[in-house]
Amino acid sequence: MIFPDVSWAAIAPEIALVAGAVAILLVDVQWKPEPRVLGGIVALSVVAAAVLSVGQWFRLDTPSDITIPFGGMIAFDRVSVLARFVLLAVTAMGVAGGWRLFERLGRRAAEALALVLLATVGFSFMASSIHLVMIFLGLEVGSISLYVLAGITRERPDSDEAAMKYFLLGSFASAVFIYGVALLFAGTGRLALLGQRAFLDANIVTRPAVLLIGMALVIVGLGFKVSAAPFHTWAPDVYQGAPAGVVGFMAAGAKIGGFAALTRILFTGFPLMADEWASVVAIISALSMGIGVVLALVQDDVRRMLAYSGVAHAGFILTGVVAGAAAEPGIWFYLAAYTIQLVAGFAIVAAVTGSAAGRSGLDAFAGLAVRSPFLAAAFTVTLLGMAGIPLTSGFVAKFGVFVSAWQAGFSWLVIVAVLASVVAFGVYLRVIVVMYMREPGEAASPTPSTAARWMLVAATVSTILFGVLPQPLLDLARNAFSV
Amino acid sequence: MTVGPGWYMTLAAALFSIGAIGMLVRRNALVMFMSIELMLNAVNLTFVAAGRALGTLDGQVSVFFVLVVAAAEVVVGLAIIVAVFRTRATASVDELSELKG
Repeated sequence: MIFPDVSWAAIAPEIALVAGAVAILLVDVQWKPEPRVLGGIVALSVVAAAVLSVGQWFRLDTPSDITIPFGGMIAFDRVSVLARFVLLAVTAMGVAGGWRLFERLGRRAAEALALVLLATVGFSFMASSIHLVMIFLGLEVGSISLYVLAGITRERPDSDEAAMKYFLLGSFASAVFIYGVALLFAGTGRLALLGQRAFLDANIVTRPAVLLIGMALVIVGLGFKVSAAPFHTWAPDVYQGAPAGVVGFMAAGAKIGGFAALTRILFTGFPLMADEWASVVAIISALSMGIGVVLALVQDDVRRMLAYSGVAHAGFILTGVVAGAAAEPGIWFYLAAYTIQLVAGFAIVAAVTGSAAGRSGLDAFAGLAVRSPFLAAAFTVTLLGMAGIPLTSGFVAKFGVFVSAWQAGFSWLVIVAVLASVVAFGVYLRVIVVMYMREPGEAASPTPSTAARWMLVAATVSTILFGVLPQPLLDLARNAFSV
Repeated sequence: MTVGPGWYMTLAAALFSIGAIGMLVRRNALVMFMSIELMLNAVNLTFVAAGRALGTLDGQVSVFFVLVVAAAEVVVGLAIIVAVFRTRATASVDELSELKG
């Protein structure tokens, strides 16, 4: 009997996160502690996972150092570690930014925090697996946790509606994805991405129809998860109805996991079919940017606006995907910069309109500069970062992926992207104008939790710091890839 | 005449399409959810047929994973549908129209 090669070091961070989730549930059953104690356990396991990831980073000597333990299921390389860094940062900031929600959930806080950790594990496995079935498992662990989180305040009609819509459309997308996987398996006879690449290398596919349909379905399935147009219809409703305290983490985590899996599948498994998938991805990218910015302009709810702007950002990131593996450092810089802004944005939304509530009308932000100068300033920096103003990380990120797409010969896509960025500026400016120019109404001054304050400081500083001094983060991203 | 794996994969494609169409045209959350289950079972049939044709066990092993994931989805999905049903006494997604814009 042959045992698969088990390398605990490769999955040590995930083990730390799962241990944290289990510990939270057990501690909650036995001692029913304050949410603060459970938050401590979350912090502990996230920090442990981060430390273990740093250890992994230095254990892997070079970017091309890759081992595939667990029978070829898990890729132990710097790409997975980089993805996990971004993911852990987003998890920590998401929990800190939505801390008031977990306080208010009472007895349900343990479940919510455990689900956040389990979703992180799922998305982390999406990034570190190199086998299609394993990617599917990671996708589902993450997605199913998010369906529950969307409805964690289920007594509120908005919240259970959001959970139901997310669940139905998300499961539909998962089914489409796994059918694509089945067809790719039928076409190549392999499920491991490196095996599929070797198969395509060695064989001339005479009847590629099954492969092409399979690949299209995989792209569609992951397009749903990252809310790329025309598969974005769930995102605005879910972001608007789910409790504000978790939306930032939901949106950011799904984007990181989805793009990690998409890049891994396309760049590692099917680089030889780049001609076929690049044009499809380019069209999805252009549609996402166009639909995203135009619909974001007309929204009167800040969360729907952020959701449509997320659709546009999925399109911007896809311009990098079109360019192929050479753009990967740029894609990860973009993901890191944008997801941090995303969690910061929703932390501010949660502070202004209530962390357990749904909906965040634009009116609630009127005169925020008077009621809470700190939140208004943080939101301004975050929105300018999303808009991609120079001297913010958003600008460096956009510049990186656009240059890659241009060099790959997709100049029409870059022109669309630049036009979309210009229009998108109007989207964000509208919120800034409401915050600074409109008279504050009767509304009370928002009071974010201490954790949320520190998290917003960190997010704001990183948005500016990586805009002024992007080189360290860019080098870190480049050191993860052999290009 | 023998029934080859290609026929099973065609059947699976038909089942998957029926499921996808059902998901798009039906308005009862439970029926939509059943359509998703139909799609997942079509995937299983594809895996088994392809694995058989290629002479590898990977296809049949994958079915176990898909089955377990489908079971987990049922647990969460039915809970969400019940929660929605309790607050509104309907499982029609047309009644769920609080969120739009």
